[in-house]
Amino acid sequence: MPIVRRKETKELEIPTDSVSDIAFLLIIFFILTTTLSKLSGFTAELPSADASQKQAAKTDAKTPSVQLAGGKLLFNEQEVSLQTLQDRLLDLRLGSKDGEEKVVLLEAGGKVEYQTYYAAMAAISTAGGVVAIVEEE
Amino acid sequence: MKLHKSRRVALTVPLASMGDIAFLLTIFFLLTSNFAKDDTRNITPPTATQLAELEKQNISVSIDADGGIFFNGRPVGSPGVIEAGVAGFLVGKKEPQDRMVVFRCDKAVDQNVFEPVLAAISKAGGVIAAVGEKSKP
Repeated sequence: MPIVRRKETKELEIPTDSVSDIAFLLIIFFILTTTLSKLSGFTAELPSADASQKQAAKTDAKTPSVQLAGGKLLFNEQEVSLQTLQDRLLDLRLGSKDGEEKVVLLEAGGKVEYQTYYAAMAAISTAGGVVAIVEEE
Repeated sequence: MKLHKSRRVALTVPLASMGDIAFLLTIFFLLTSNFAKDDTRNITPPTATQLAELEKQNISVSIDADGGIFFNGRPVGSPGVIEAGVAGFLVGKKEPQDRMVVFRCDKAVDQNVFEPVLAAISKAGGVIAAVGEKSKP
């Protein structure tokens, strides 16, 4: 008489004791390696209303001005490209000047998008100038 | 007389769900750790070639692509509210670095929308930190 032996079925288990440790390690890894978003831009201290009115009275033909109109960029009423504007503003060496000599008038006429306005303001600010907005009357 | 042996029950803390708890905590803190102050989902920032890194400030003013104006993430109706809000935050602050106001605006917004907001910030005494993206020259 043959002896029948029952096969012992082994239950396969994945050990889960260390899953929580793995989870916390992953958390710590991603927190330490995540690069937080950084803001980039420029700072501009625009003259207040009273100061700009006084400035408007004192400006003369020598005050550099940037005009934005009809998609065109003008520097002292001459059409220029953005790169040319940046170069001419740097040539003025506004950073080494004091007070009113740093002022650059920015006038926008008609429909001007913020992108164009921003590029002009950035060019003036990075050249060391102070932006004075000329508002349409 | 029957004597009952006191059965000592081994106290075990079930650790099977520790991994699930860890991941749930992770997801919770990832989602809630940075409460967004600004709704920047509908703002495409302008680009400029020369931009510097800006520090995050407590005051932010945003204008989205639809022309909606936001002060610290909350929608406002007019630039006058911006001026009052910024002035309130800047009470007693004299140094330029303490008067920074982060300004975000969609690059396609018209001049009639953003210019009054810029004027309002400057009237309140704020120094504008205009946010943009760096573009290749």
